[in-house]
Amino acid sequence: MYKRRTPPTEPVRILFEGREIIAARGESLAAALLAAGVERFGESPLSGSPRAPFCMIGNCYECLLEIDGEAARQACLTRVREGMLVQRRARGLAGADRAAEGGDDEPQR
Amino acid sequence: MKDCDIAVVGGGLLGSAFAYGLTGSQPGGQCNGDRRVLLLDEGDDAIRTARGNFGLVWVQGKGRGMPAYARWSLQSSREWVAFAADLREETGVDTGHHRCGGFNLALDEAELAANVALLETLRSEAGEAGYEFEVMPRQRLLQFLPQIGPRVPGATYCPHDGHVNPLQLLRALQAGFQRRGGEYAPRRAVRRIAALPGGGFELFGAAGAAPLARAEKVVIAAGHGSPALGAPLGLRAPVVPVQGQVLVTERSATPLRYPTNYVRRTDEGTFMLGPSARDVGFDLDTETATLRDIARQCSRAFPFLRSLRVQRSWAALRIMTPDGFPVYEQSASHPGAFSFACHSGVTLAAVHARRVACWVLDGRIPTNYHCFGAERFDVQATHAAH
Amino acid sequence: MNPSAEVIVIGAGPAGMAAAIELTGLGITVQVVDEQPAPGGQVYRAVERVHDERAEDLALLGEQYADGLELVRRFRNCGAELRAGSAVWELAVDESRSAAPVALHCLREGRVEQLGARHAILACGAMERPTPFPGWTLPGVMGVGAAQTLLKDAALLPAGNVVLAGSGPLLYLFAWQLLRAGVRPARVLDTTPWPSRNVLSALPAALLRAAPELLRGWRWLRELHRAGLPFERRVDGLRALPDAADARLAQVEFRRAGGAWQRLDAELLLVHDGVIPNTWLGMSAGCAHHWDAAQQCWAPRLDADLCSSRAPLSIAGDAGGIGGSDAARLRGRIAALGVARRIGPAVAARAAARAGELAGWRAELQPLAALRRFLDAHYPAAGLFRRPSDETIVCRCEEVSAGEIRRCAALGVVGPNQGKAFTRCGMGPCMGRECGTSVGRLIADHHGLAMDEVGHYRIRPPLRPITVGQLADLQLDGDDAEGASRGATTFARLLGDDGGDGGGADASAGDAGPRDGPGRSA
Repeated sequence: MYKRRTPPTEPVRILFEGREIIAARGESLAAALLAAGVERFGESPLSGSPRAPFCMIGNCYECLLEIDGEAARQACLTRVREGMLVQRRARGLAGADRAAEGGDDEPQR
Repeated sequence: MKDCDIAVVGGGLLGSAFAYGLTGSQPGGQCNGDRRVLLLDEGDDAIRTARGNFGLVWVQGKGRGMPAYARWSLQSSREWVAFAADLREETGVDTGHHRCGGFNLALDEAELAANVALLETLRSEAGEAGYEFEVMPRQRLLQFLPQIGPRVPGATYCPHDGHVNPLQLLRALQAGFQRRGGEYAPRRAVRRIAALPGGGFELFGAAGAAPLARAEKVVIAAGHGSPALGAPLGLRAPVVPVQGQVLVTERSATPLRYPTNYVRRTDEGTFMLGPSARDVGFDLDTETATLRDIARQCSRAFPFLRSLRVQRSWAALRIMTPDGFPVYEQSASHPGAFSFACHSGVTLAAVHARRVACWVLDGRIPTNYHCFGAERFDVQATHAAH
Repeated sequence: MNPSAEVIVIGAGPAGMAAAIELTGLGITVQVVDEQPAPGGQVYRAVERVHDERAEDLALLGEQYADGLELVRRFRNCGAELRAGSAVWELAVDESRSAAPVALHCLREGRVEQLGARHAILACGAMERPTPFPGWTLPGVMGVGAAQTLLKDAALLPAGNVVLAGSGPLLYLFAWQLLRAGVRPARVLDTTPWPSRNVLSALPAALLRAAPELLRGWRWLRELHRAGLPFERRVDGLRALPDAADARLAQVEFRRAGGAWQRLDAELLLVHDGVIPNTWLGMSAGCAHHWDAAQQCWAPRLDADLCSSRAPLSIAGDAGGIGGSDAARLRGRIAALGVARRIGPAVAARAAARAGELAGWRAELQPLAALRRFLDAHYPAAGLFRRPSDETIVCRCEEVSAGEIRRCAALGVVGPNQGKAFTRCGMGPCMGRECGTSVGRLIADHHGLAMDEVGHYRIRPPLRPITVGQLADLQLDGDDAEGASRGATTFARLLGDDGGDGGGADASAGDAGPRDGPGRSA
């Protein structure tokens, strides 16, 4: 979706889902991931459709990621940091997880 | 102005359950027939306690000092299964009801002892009509709630407890009511009800305006608005607001098989965290310290919650009677007027829709439910005066 | 609690910076909180870093952007304490706390912080108006403002076929910036309608008073046309179509009024339908808002000093109503003087001495207002996004469609809070930022109600992501010595604590039978 005007003059190495990405010092994590070609940040809760950042200023919450072990931070409001560890969030719900629900009366959706 | 047979004032969990019940033929043919039922409701920006419910359909621990209330809760819990099925079949709305049993967790030994003592007292008060419960020390509790925190000494379990999605319940009741031919009239806040000389009632909104409706019978289920509406008709609804706040987390895959008094997993996969109580009048703002306390007590119960994001919080005003038990009133001077108030609108929704609605149609509250009348407070006041 | 400053300014954009400079100039202690790492807000986003690391981009981004550098430098030197990287998750006003009626809870580097002040100026700026249309949730569809933020923040440019859709000055500005950067949008799908009577009536005042700004805008448009940028006008239909794997955008479908649907291949679709105030913070603090018909958005009710209906809170800049960055600077100063007059007699005297300047700022706002009226009329909210089709997702977070909202409206839902209860719209992480106006509009249209009658979502904390653990670990004033909860005592007392009806038994918020209610146990 996006390309860099120039390569990063002060590169910062981050790890996204185990893959090394070169980011530029000072930019947001969302920008770094988009520049690296990441197109899926998360999924919609019900249909599981892929989602990516929409607003870039903290309003749409499509950029929530697990950052340095912290469960949910907005990547568009987070600066890249050398050695940052980034993961997509564990898939929330629906389908398989509902089987873990207890009780004798399962709702039939 | 609308003409109807029965006007229900208040579109919350009580009013909607009554309205739904009043328009239906009940299972077992308890009360049948066509009647025009009008449900009058306020607008979007009103107190609306119905939107703030936790969603427990709960039996254990209820009714100390009034075994009739314990029995009433148990009856409703039993009827809830068929009630939920009927609602789903009629409206397509799944209320997410599970009658899987529930736990009152204790966060320390004192709380556990108190919970156990209460249940034992209730059992002795109930005699033959008592219900099953189990005191579960930690080791046994872990088999059911493996994620329980290390400092939880135990819980009491009751197989009659369950939970439901209270918002979908409200939606189902209103959908069912309308499908059955009832008329829902939002943005029609009723401020005054006047008895007509020849029988029947007129309901007014803003002062000086023409009546909103005329009805043969009127059912007041307006939450905090009930006292003022019923007073001119000799109906009492001694309720005060008790604020409760709830936290809701994001969705999570972690299972929680049973609802508890502190935390339950919703049918959408989020966790609801409570409870709290504050005496702040009609203030609907959340308070940080209370939200913090809820987060703290619930993470003590289930430490895994700590890593989940808080998605939203809210506050609602319980409709609290002096003893916490329902107040069911029929006007002595105007027998066509009824007033119902309680804060367990979710647990009692089944009997409200299937039983109490019939009382209104029959034109009388059965004698064995007179214990829910407001006169009981007169007796207590006399005692208190000593 | 003790105040951490006399005044807290939330937002370090043009309004916030101007307010801070004015306040510190009057000797008032100021803290400025902003969730970005550096001041500038969105309009001057990353301007210092751009200047330091890629000064050539300043020309690319345009004069108005570069002008921000001077303001940022003055702000850095004014003596206000900047708390950057700090996200406000709760703003609470309690006037009984006379020393610090305004309390903020922020999250910074994973740590919760509490700030307090006697007054606060909210300068949270604007957001792009939500634009629901089929397929808008696909990866590859973003706001024009979002793409511009990426250009400023990280020097990123669209790759592949990029289509712009919508209308408004920001759209044309960004197209102009792209051309200067050597990127040529494949198409500009312009939804601007034929000029209405409102446009024609607003034009003379705008010409008279804001000719230079109008000329600047007209120049952008002229350059776009000279560059041969392909425009489609009066577009009234838009769809984003996915690839075979349903993984991202692959094509854009559009229709001109009265025309047939056409398709374009696209890697990126950037949409813009104007900007609206960022009202969530003010709404969560209980400030009264009204529906601004001219700007088709919720805006706070403000007095002449930009003070909101909750006295310790003032709202400056675009958060108080869209006016642009020049107006924001002026309004920041006006709000600052308004606050200064209420702080105390000594400061009030110094503030009174600035009465002449204040009159000047108010006068300078007039031509900007005239320009704004013209722009609002010329670029109204597009009908295309105001009437989404039934299958269009309106609430992105919870995947609630316009059709479902309409069905609930037919069931008698008369406001967005009831809609939220029945459909979960607005219950997701964005708390209704991206769906609030759409949901309200759908309900209003169904019932024939005005937006003020329908109302807006009730907003509560947390306003930024915070975990249960972070909340549980909060230390607050009023805690007892062990940091323990006051709540449990209150709870037990309210729901009965004699004879064993403890918190456990009556714990549920929905159902329990206490012995004593309030008034009896006290």
